[in-house]
Amino acid sequence: MLSMSSDIVSSKLLFREGDESAYELFIGPQHPSSGHMRFIVRLRGDIIVSVDPDIGYVHRTMEKLAEGREAIKAIPLLERLTIIDSHNATVALVTAIERLLDAEPPPRALYLRTLLSEINRIASHLYGMGIAGIMLNHSTMFMWAFGDREVWLQLAEELTGARLTHTYSIPGGVRRDLPQRFKERFEKAARYMEKRLEDYMKIFFRNPQVASRYEGVGVLRKSEAQKLGIVGPNLRASGVKYDARLADDYCAYSELDFEVPVREEGDCMARMLVRVEEIRQSLSIIRQVLDKMPTGPILAEKYLKLLPPKIREQATRSGHVKFPGVFATLKLPAGEAVARAEMGHGEIFYHVVSDGSAKPYRLRVVTPSFRNVVLFRYLPPGHRFMDFPAIYGSLDYFPPESDR
Amino acid sequence: MSTMGMDLVNLLIRLLLSPRVFAPVVFPGLLTALIVLLIIIWAERKIAARIQMRVGPLYVTRHFGGVLQMLADGTRYMFQEFIIPETADRIPFVLAPVLALVLAILPFAFIPSAPKFAPVTSPLSLPAVLAVLSAIPISVLLMGWSSNNKFSIQGAVREAFMSLAYEIPLFISALSMAILYGTMSLEEMVDKQPIPGFLLNPIAAFTFLVSMVMSAGKLPFDIVEGEQEIVAGPYVEYTGIIFGIGMGLAYLKLYALSLVYTIIFLSGWEPLPEVLYRFYPGVAGIFLFAKAFLLMLFVVFLRSVYGRYRLDQAIRIGWRIYFVLSVISLVFSVGVKVITYV
Repeated sequence: MLSMSSDIVSSKLLFREGDESAYELFIGPQHPSSGHMRFIVRLRGDIIVSVDPDIGYVHRTMEKLAEGREAIKAIPLLERLTIIDSHNATVALVTAIERLLDAEPPPRALYLRTLLSEINRIASHLYGMGIAGIMLNHSTMFMWAFGDREVWLQLAEELTGARLTHTYSIPGGVRRDLPQRFKERFEKAARYMEKRLEDYMKIFFRNPQVASRYEGVGVLRKSEAQKLGIVGPNLRASGVKYDARLADDYCAYSELDFEVPVREEGDCMARMLVRVEEIRQSLSIIRQVLDKMPTGPILAEKYLKLLPPKIREQATRSGHVKFPGVFATLKLPAGEAVARAEMGHGEIFYHVVSDGSAKPYRLRVVTPSFRNVVLFRYLPPGHRFMDFPAIYGSLDYFPPESDR
Repeated sequence: MSTMGMDLVNLLIRLLLSPRVFAPVVFPGLLTALIVLLIIIWAERKIAARIQMRVGPLYVTRHFGGVLQMLADGTRYMFQEFIIPETADRIPFVLAPVLALVLAILPFAFIPSAPKFAPVTSPLSLPAVLAVLSAIPISVLLMGWSSNNKFSIQGAVREAFMSLAYEIPLFISALSMAILYGTMSLEEMVDKQPIPGFLLNPIAAFTFLVSMVMSAGKLPFDIVEGEQEIVAGPYVEYTGIIFGIGMGLAYLKLYALSLVYTIIFLSGWEPLPEVLYRFYPGVAGIFLFAKAFLLMLFVVFLRSVYGRYRLDQAIRIGWRIYFVLSVISLVFSVGVKVITYV
């Protein structure tokens, strides 16, 4: 399998190692559109013959750091993987820890997790669309998407108390209950977002200039996407209906009714439009979540019992769970557990191994951007140099996530 | 002694008010151009900010909407260190921006602002303006090449490709209007317009407008600077005030071309304000200026609507669409001329 996928990559390369006739450009790490990484782009004329993505500039040894601290402290640490999508990035970790601890969160907590996950997904897609816009120097798309992202950050803040680093899910439940009048505020935001998505279509996606930059550029065929192990909207834009929300049972997704948008074209435009459609689906999911929200506690009975009676009573009354002291020294039973979740960028996968102490023996995370980074080597060769930022933007690649 | 002093003052005033000095130096030339430069960049940022739900420049002169922001930026550029890279070719590196600036200001020597008020009265003022403007890409090429940086060389090559794509439609569409009017003098062209020129030959007006946007490197054709790929293109190694010149170059070019566009297609200074003209002909060109300024506002507004075209797309547009359109406009002009002659 591995050799097969590397064959795909090298079959597209127009460049032989050691060929000095190519014009070599170092895009990054100090470059307006490289992100926290470097690309070694080789050109022949105006045609890209090879791109080497050079990752690791923001490697923070997160997996190793997680081994040195109690399991619960890994949550705020791994949120920093993808700070724009932090709940989706850690909900799978929490699920894996719960599987180890055999702690079943109550239904209300699962619904609240779903709620925050979808708010995060919308914000993450808006961020990606904004960056894609500015990569074509379309400043209006950039400013609009980043401005409208603020709406969702504020909703998330209302729910969790933090704009980005929510640390909302804890083993066995969530930290806070739904605030009052949240539904009305969401409805207002949702109506605004639906109107804005139409505006985005007008100014960006149906703009003939943008269409000429995106359509037919950076085409990823279905079979190649499968062999390269691509995840997320990039995979779904190539016609593969795969979504971790369907594949794994986490949060409350199995009880909700939603579509997974798929497109067949596999070009930059398809990848962007899949994200737009996913925002619409997320709005519908949040509506369902708020309608179906079950009543009950937000932390598993088994942990609620451990709280001192006074704090327990206060927690049920106010809907705010302070981290119970017991969490800090929670012993993970020996064994291993895996979990996955669908982030805005794609599927994130956690593998937690425990030897019975409070700290995980090994914590392994495979992030969606890390799985998609191979596309930089594979997609641009054969395209014009100016297509490079267009392809980069459409992939919604996030270097800190890939570097961990 | 005092009469001699008076004579000297009179001489200086007469010199300043003569078209040969007033037009290129004060209006519509250098001084006005610099003010336009400050205002148009501010206006561009304010328009974009309005559309993009921001406030735009505000910090400097808060009560006037931050209008002096560009002056503050320019002052900052003045005091910034001017770095010449070790690897750069020193002499062309320093001379090329100066040459570019001179070439961008030189067209004002040929642009009349009112009847009989041109610094250089020439029957060939239209080709003269276009010829001077079309020499700017050469100095930009020199800037990019002498910087000896991979990104700046990419930018220089892009400038060369782009200038071939827009110069020819620009020249042919201007030429088709010259045929229609039967003159190549900008001053006479205004008199020959019974109705504004863009109604006489709309194809030429459209082609000239698009070529103008390409020439000034405004969106959707800001390919030469191409921030997302080549950082700042030919200007990548420049710092301080020379970088500011590189930035202002496009706007100066846009201003000169807008004035030419107004004269050829928007009936120039007509309707002429008689009172002002009798007072002093140099200030009678306010309608010329107003039309040109509105045109510039339209061009900078495009930034809020479009992204950037790809280099090959822009060249294809230039050669396959606008070159053909400009030839059609030429044929149209010749046809009109033949019919009216008979």
